[in-house]
Amino acid sequence: MHNRRMALVAASLVGIVTLTTPAVAQQSGGTLRIYHRDMPPSASIHEEATISTNMPFMAVFNNLVMFDPKEKINSIDKITPELATSWSWNADNTKLTMKLREGVTWHDGKPFTAKDVVCTWTKLTQEESEKGDAFRKNPRRVWWQNLQSVTANGDHEVTFNLGRPQPSFMAMLAAGYSPVYPCHVSTRDLRTKPIGTGPFKFVEMKRNESIRLVKNPDYWRKGHPYLDAIDWRIIPNRSTRILAFIAGDFDLTFDSDVTFPLLNDIKAQAPKAVCEARPTNVNNNLIVNQEAPPFDNPKIRQAMLLALDRKAFSDILSHGHAVLGASMLPAPEGVWSMPKEMLNELPGFGDHTKNLAEARKIMEGLGYGPDKTLKVKVSTRNIPIYRDPGVILIDQLKKIYIEGELEPIDTPVWHAKVARKDYTVGMNLTGVGVDDPDVNFYENFTCKSERNYTGYCNPDVEKLIEAQSREIDKEKRKKVVWEIDRKLAEDAARPVISHNVENTCWQPRLKGLILQHNSIYNGWRFDDVWLEK
Amino acid sequence: MSTIDHDAELLRAGAHVRGAWGTAGFLIRRYPLGAAGAVIVIVFVLAALLANVVATFDPTATSSRNSLTPPGSVYWLGADFMGRDVFSRIVHGARISLAVSVGATALGCAAGIIVGLMSGYLGGWVDLVVQRIMDIMQALPLLVMALVMAASLGPSLQNTIIAIAIALVPNIARVIRSSTLSLREQPFVEAARATGMSELRIAVRHVLPNTLAPLIVLATAQLGSAILTEASLSFLGLGVPEPHPSWGRMLSESAAEYIRTAPWLVIFPGIAISLAVFGTNLLGDALRDMLDPRERT
Amino acid sequence: MASYLVRRTFLMVLTLFGMSVLIFVMLRLVPGNISDILFDAAGFVDPKEKARLERDLGLDLPILTQYWHWISGLVQGDLGFAYVTEKPAIEEIAPRIPVTVKLAVLALIFSVVFGVPLGVISAVRQNTAIDYALRILSLSGLSLPSFWLGLLILMLFVRYFGFIPIYTDPPATLWKELALLSVPAAAVGFRSSALIMRLTRSSMLEVLRQDYIRTARSKGATPGSVNYDHALRNAVLPVVTIIGIEAAFLIGGLIVTETVFNVPGVARFLVEAVIWRDYPIVQNLVMFIAVVVVVVNFIVDMTYMILDPRIKYAD
Repeated sequence: MHNRRMALVAASLVGIVTLTTPAVAQQSGGTLRIYHRDMPPSASIHEEATISTNMPFMAVFNNLVMFDPKEKINSIDKITPELATSWSWNADNTKLTMKLREGVTWHDGKPFTAKDVVCTWTKLTQEESEKGDAFRKNPRRVWWQNLQSVTANGDHEVTFNLGRPQPSFMAMLAAGYSPVYPCHVSTRDLRTKPIGTGPFKFVEMKRNESIRLVKNPDYWRKGHPYLDAIDWRIIPNRSTRILAFIAGDFDLTFDSDVTFPLLNDIKAQAPKAVCEARPTNVNNNLIVNQEAPPFDNPKIRQAMLLALDRKAFSDILSHGHAVLGASMLPAPEGVWSMPKEMLNELPGFGDHTKNLAEARKIMEGLGYGPDKTLKVKVSTRNIPIYRDPGVILIDQLKKIYIEGELEPIDTPVWHAKVARKDYTVGMNLTGVGVDDPDVNFYENFTCKSERNYTGYCNPDVEKLIEAQSREIDKEKRKKVVWEIDRKLAEDAARPVISHNVENTCWQPRLKGLILQHNSIYNGWRFDDVWLEK
Repeated sequence: MSTIDHDAELLRAGAHVRGAWGTAGFLIRRYPLGAAGAVIVIVFVLAALLANVVATFDPTATSSRNSLTPPGSVYWLGADFMGRDVFSRIVHGARISLAVSVGATALGCAAGIIVGLMSGYLGGWVDLVVQRIMDIMQALPLLVMALVMAASLGPSLQNTIIAIAIALVPNIARVIRSSTLSLREQPFVEAARATGMSELRIAVRHVLPNTLAPLIVLATAQLGSAILTEASLSFLGLGVPEPHPSWGRMLSESAAEYIRTAPWLVIFPGIAISLAVFGTNLLGDALRDMLDPRERT
Repeated sequence: MASYLVRRTFLMVLTLFGMSVLIFVMLRLVPGNISDILFDAAGFVDPKEKARLERDLGLDLPILTQYWHWISGLVQGDLGFAYVTEKPAIEEIAPRIPVTVKLAVLALIFSVVFGVPLGVISAVRQNTAIDYALRILSLSGLSLPSFWLGLLILMLFVRYFGFIPIYTDPPATLWKELALLSVPAAAVGFRSSALIMRLTRSSMLEVLRQDYIRTARSKGATPGSVNYDHALRNAVLPVVTIIGIEAAFLIGGLIVTETVFNVPGVARFLVEAVIWRDYPIVQNLVMFIAVVVVVVNFIVDMTYMILDPRIKYAD
């Protein structure tokens, strides 16, 4: 733990040094080679909720604004212009007006105008019934629920009209998940051959094989990007792709693909490789369908919460590097996390032996015991990062007389199945796109959200979520957020087991890549990255 | 094809022996590879049956302290990424492999026998239709068939067995049919018919027992391929799910990642699969030599 | 002869027709409804979307009509649309075929080059130490899971040669590609060569026992000429048959080997399509595999007939 902190401090110092000294002469040219872990479901960032789409295709697009790519911690105070050059709020903080960059063209030569911005956010907020050329999926509809309309004022100015003040609105606009789409290209084409304004043009995507992007010579940021092309190779088998990285076939691994046990291997076999550990803002959590008997009994859910040995998860899955916390990413990387003292008071934290004894007592009180176990299927996505914690969960539940069998669900079916609540107990991973309470709470804990897999619904919590969302004062907002996080933990809404910390590695010749430490989804524009010859 | 009188065969081969031990001793000398195969198969079956006694740990118990422990005095074959004992998992994995191989073969044989007997004995249009169906089923490789089945039925132990069993049916049915066809015309069947025995009874009492020799040879050969198919399915993530310790999944991606840092995770389950299949194949070869005189060497 | 050809062709078409019905029914009726699965796979939750999806995909039509659409398209080379990439399925499948064909041919060459001579040696030196060693080798070939063998090969390559023989870039020349594919071909061909070796051995043994071989021997032919001229020529027939069986056998091995070596061929594509529930691709690929197996068997039968005119096909 201590070492990790030191490493982070050192890393951020390095960051400062590179920022203050004049940059070493960047070299242009070269093809960046990256391996991909699987086939992206589509190229349309707005329609998907996975880093598999985000990491390769963010470089094709631009946002209106973006988290400062040179900062390691995404923060609402560090937002830089992209397609919007400046912005201002009205007096009651409900109208956001943005001036747009002029002279920007889409990859197909058409000019970028305010119409494209209006189109994009109209599609994101449209109701099902009015769909024309609509998105097939809209996983982040809740992000924009406070957005009432977007209006164009001429070709180079737009106004976002909000229902109430929402300071996090800028943070969501700055997320990697919020690119501006061209109005004149159909959503179907955006899924298969995306067109953007970004530093790289899409060339082709061969299913299960490769993705190729080439430099956009007309990019509005003069002198950028440095790379001639980015070549992605899809290698679904992890052992094969790590071997390929060690053999020098790739410049960069897929984001967070290197677990701590694998890190030792890379260190030993490819000692020159640069590896950086960072929290992914993806947490392992236990989901229990509150409508499925006997789990409709809050006592059983309480017992399960108490039976979780969080440290064991972290020790096994990431050699003790994962961090423990409530539902918001823990400090120091997490901006909104509750203080340590408060965290230790939460149920399921603190002394594990005592918790386990209490959990057993609850289960025995309900008539379960070594001779009468509760048999249950533990559903999880059929990929190792889900299956591995699932296996540990089954082992831990065994101690409170719950006998689990893993039910592996193939990736494409997983989301719909749990959203439909067609499961009893599940091991889930939740990636938080932006380290902001609105993003996390609205997506995962409000009664009506599609991604609220457990069916948790508490009107008091809902009110608090609403209250923090409109709070402009950051410190006041933090207090409310802690309160919500505490209530969620006490209600065993969706017990967070651990916040993952994983490694991303690259060859030393790759320069200018800055990994962000409170989200994996926002830093993949690749316009500052270059290769040393 | 006919049944074999072993004592007569032994005498003919010049083995003046009597008694069970003597016979066994002769068979070992006559078929050394088969005997080796039998030993491997017996060890494999014993490990599966006595898994609870033989295993030194609970095969599903995770332990953070022992993640990736190399082989040693506590963990004989090392521990996996989750600190689970590889030896215990291999021993318990034998159960899964045994269940799948025996279950699928038995199920496949049962279905194959019924279909084959019907086809061969009834003949006519039944035969024609059944043969065409078998043609269709044989047009797909075992793994492809099992893959599609496993995907549409969902991964579980039961479904894996069913998927592999269905894929085995055509082979069995073909063999049973061809022996039935030749047996149907044999004098003893004619005789039985003359005494007024019902056709069903003739089929079951007189024809079926005489098809046993080729059936045993074939079934033993299928055991090995059932084990391999299950391993391949599990390797592809479509086989028997966790926490059951299946050999194929022990080799799948999560283990293979540690192929250099923890080679024992890849080497030992691989050896277990290879040995079990090797053993059944050796035994199958020897049985074929014994029961099928045409192949006699 | 002509009537046999006609009959055989008719049976082949019948089998393929049956296959198409089987696969169509299997994917549609077991265990649920293809539209449920596609609905889930698309990540939809709202049931209202389902009707739209069914209409888009033509799943609201009667099942017979759906089958007719598929099969009539198939005959004309129109395989429908891949669900995941929204491209015509033929564009997805066609470019993968040459890769797998190259791999399969290499594997077959490997297995014949090693399998036939070793099988002959094993038969000629029956019950000697060489025979036993070769029999153990061939049995172990049938026993090692090919994905395991593949992993071990990859590990050794990285450790001792410092590179990994996997398919990341499309190789520049055909020779480079063949060189790259030769490693997985050996991994999958090992198993096939074992099968060929075993069957060559047993058919050689059978031939060696026959009368004309005895005659040749008694006429003073050297053992070498007996073994290799007379016996092998006759043993080639069953070996041709085996190559037919191989076609089906090989595809199973290719599925896992292509996964391990990251070869972008059709065999791995089938697994991916199954996992992605891309049923338009799955049903076409399964049909494709069935066509390959059936046609190869047909060709083998024909070859057999040409090689051995003594066999009568009146049936």
